[in-house]
Amino acid sequence: MLELHVWGPAFGLPSLDAHCLAAIAYLQQAVPRGKWQLIASSDPGLSPTNELPALRNAEIWIGGFRNIFHYIAQLSAGEWVLDAGLPEQEGADCIAFSSFVESHGQPLLDLSLYVSSQNYSAVTRPLFNTIQSFPLPYLTPPALRAAAKARTEHLRLAGLDIDVEDGQQLSQELSFIPDSLRRPKNTVSSLLAASPEANARIRLDALATDFLEPLQRLRGRKQFFVSDAQFSSLDCLALGYLCLILIPDLPQPWLAKTMKAKFPALCEWTEGMRDTVFSKNVSLNDAFLTKLGDSELDVRLRRLRGRGHLPWRAPENRGAAAVGSAFVARMADSIPVVGQLRRNTRMRQHGGKTPGEGTQDSRWGYLYAIGGLIAGLGVVGGYLFQQGLISFPVGDEEKRGLEDFGEAGRALSFLADQMDGQVQRERMREGNYSHGAPIAEVDIEVEKDGVVAVETVS
Amino acid sequence: MPPKETPSKEDEDQSSFSRQTRKVRDLFSIPPPVKKLFDRVPIVVYAPNQLPQRAPKPARIPSLYVFSTSHDAAAGKPSFNPSCLKWQTFLNIASVNHRLISSNNHASPTGSLPFLLPAVQSNSPQDALLPVTSNKFVKYASNHGGWVDESPSMRYEAYQSLLDHRIRNAWLYTLYLEPLNFSSVAYPLYVSSTSSNPLVRASIAYQLRLAAETELLKHTSIIDTDDLYSEADKAFEALSSLLGEDSWFFGNDKPALFDASVFAYTQLLLDDSLGWKEKKLCRALRTRDNLVRHRERLLVRYYGG
Repeated sequence: MLELHVWGPAFGLPSLDAHCLAAIAYLQQAVPRGKWQLIASSDPGLSPTNELPALRNAEIWIGGFRNIFHYIAQLSAGEWVLDAGLPEQEGADCIAFSSFVESHGQPLLDLSLYVSSQNYSAVTRPLFNTIQSFPLPYLTPPALRAAAKARTEHLRLAGLDIDVEDGQQLSQELSFIPDSLRRPKNTVSSLLAASPEANARIRLDALATDFLEPLQRLRGRKQFFVSDAQFSSLDCLALGYLCLILIPDLPQPWLAKTMKAKFPALCEWTEGMRDTVFSKNVSLNDAFLTKLGDSELDVRLRRLRGRGHLPWRAPENRGAAAVGSAFVARMADSIPVVGQLRRNTRMRQHGGKTPGEGTQDSRWGYLYAIGGLIAGLGVVGGYLFQQGLISFPVGDEEKRGLEDFGEAGRALSFLADQMDGQVQRERMREGNYSHGAPIAEVDIEVEKDGVVAVETVS
Repeated sequence: MPPKETPSKEDEDQSSFSRQTRKVRDLFSIPPPVKKLFDRVPIVVYAPNQLPQRAPKPARIPSLYVFSTSHDAAAGKPSFNPSCLKWQTFLNIASVNHRLISSNNHASPTGSLPFLLPAVQSNSPQDALLPVTSNKFVKYASNHGGWVDESPSMRYEAYQSLLDHRIRNAWLYTLYLEPLNFSSVAYPLYVSSTSSNPLVRASIAYQLRLAAETELLKHTSIIDTDDLYSEADKAFEALSSLLGEDSWFFGNDKPALFDASVFAYTQLLLDDSLGWKEKKLCRALRTRDNLVRHRERLLVRYYGG
C-alpha cells in the first residue's frame, strides 16, 4: 500500500501546496484505487528531501513530486505512467511547460499567499492552526514566508509586505511639520497607494498575464494542455497551481481577479478538473475522518454520492514527544550555524536512503535535538528579555523629563540637551586645564608710565 | 470696559509668543559679522578632476565587459561565463561591432556582468555614455543598426524557462558544487585569476560555492543531485526535439537570441579545453546530435571555428 503524505487541506482543496495537489492528481489518475492512501500529515520532516509531498512504500520514503512520479513508474514497471505514449513534440512541450509552470507559477503563489501581509495574516497563517498540532504553527508559516520572500526578492515587489513598509513610514514622519498641519495631497499615486496591492497592481497583473497567457494558448481548444485525449503530468502540475490561484478567497484577490477577468477559459477548465480529479469541496473533516455525529450509513451514502472520493486516511496521532522533536528540529533549522550544518548533511548525493545511513541520521538527529533544545531555550529566554516580559528592576523615573510635555517638550528637550552638551564641553575644557599645570591668572594693569603685570598663581 | 479687554490680552499673548519665537530663532541665526564675511566670498565651481591615468580610454567602438582572460578577450574568443557568452553571441549575431574587455562583477554597475559601455562620439549627449545592462541589449542593438529578429511563439517562454532554471541549476551544481569540477574548471577561471593570495583565494572560493548553494536552495529544501541531473537531461531532450532537423530554433532562417541562449551552455559543456572532470552533464548533452551540430554551426559562423 502506497501512502502519500501531503500538507493538509485548505480552501476546499485537498492541500494548500501546489506540488502536493499535483501529486494527488497524479496518483488519482495513474494509480488504481485501493492501491494508495492519502494522509494529511503536514510534516515535511517525514520526507528524506524535507519537503512534501512524500510517498511511503513500507520502508521506502520518496520525497518531492518528480521523484514520486519516477518511483511510481519504476514500481509498476511502466504501467502507472501518465506521460507514456505522448508524441515527441507533445512530450517536449510537456517537459518545457512543466518547467515554465513551476518557475513562473511559484512566484505568483508566493506573492499572493505569503508575501502580501494582508493575505498572509488573515488567511494563510491561521490555516496552519487547523492542519498542524500545537507548537508547530508558530514556526512553519514564518519559515515558509521567509522562503517565499527570498524567492520573490528579484521581482522587487516587497512593497506588498506591509511589515516592511511600516519602517519606511516611520522615517517619513520625522518631518518637522506636525501631522495635523499637513494638508493631505490627493495625487494619482497616493490614490493608487491606498493598499500596497493596488500600488503594485500593474506589475502584478503583468506577472499573472505572463504566466497564464502561454498556458491558455497552449491549451487552445484541446481538452487537456498538451493532448486532446491524455491527462499528462503537465495537467497535474498546472491544475495544482491554477487551483491555488483561482479558488482561495483572499482579502487581496488580485490574482484570482486577473485570472477571472482575462482567462475565462482557463477558469472553466480549472473548476471542471477540480471537481473531477479532487472532490467538490474537501473539508478538514474529510481529511482527518472526524465523524460529525454521522452514522456509518451516512458516511457510506456520502461515499456513494462521490463526495470524499479521495482515499483519505487519518494521520497517526504522533504524541507529544514526536511533535516536540519536530518543533525542536524546525527551531534548529532557523539557528544560523546549526541550521547550516543540518542543511549540509541533507545534500543528497545518490538515490534514496540506505538503511545504514538511516541509523546514522537518527543518531545525528538525537544530537541535534539536544543541541537544538538548549539553543532553543536560550533563544526563548533572550526573546522574553528583549520583549520586556522579564526584566531586571530598573528605575524608570529618571528617564522622564521634558518628554512628558508632548511635541513642545520634545523640542525644548532638544535645546536642553544641547545646552547640557555645551556645559559639559566647557567643564571638560576646564578639567583639562586644571589637570596639568596650575592655572596662572595674569592681571594686566595699564598705567601712565608703562605696563605693570600682576601675576597670581592659583 | 470689558469688551476691549480681551483683544488686548490676546495681543499681549501673541507678542510674548512672537518674542519667544524670535528668541529661539536668534539662537540659530548666523551672527551678522560672520554673515557679512560669507557674503563677500564668491561661489566658485571648480572644473571636474581629471580621470586617473589607468581609467579606460574612450573608445570608438562599444566595449563589452565579460568574464574572460585578457588574452582571450583580445582574440574575441567565447567567454567562459554562460550569461556573458549568451550576450556576446547575441551581439555577434546582431552584427553589433564591439570589443571585449576582461573584467569581473565588481566593475559592473549592477553587480553582475556583462555590461556594455557605448562608443564615444563627439556629439553624443551625456546619458548616451552610461553603461548598458544586459536586459537592455536587445533595444541597444536595434537602436544601433543591429539586426534583431524575435519570433513571437507561445513556446518561447516555456523553453526559455528550461534554460533559465533546469539547465542553469544543473550547471551551477556541476560547476561549483561538484568538488572535482570546481577544482579543475571553476577554480582556475574564477579564483586564481583574481588574486595570488591564498587567503583571498580561499575566501572567494568559499563565497562562490556558497552563492551557488543558496541559489539552488531557494527553490528546494535540499539539493537533490539526481533530480538536478535528470531534469537537465529531460531539458536537453525537449530542446533537441524542439530543434528537430532545423538549422536554428523556431524554424528561423537566421540564428536569434534563443540560439545564443542555448549556445551559451552547449558551447561551455562541449568545450574540452575547460577540463571537465565530472562529465555527467556533458554526456547528457553529447547524446543529442542536433544540439551538438547546432553548437558547431554557431562556433564556425561567429567565432571562426
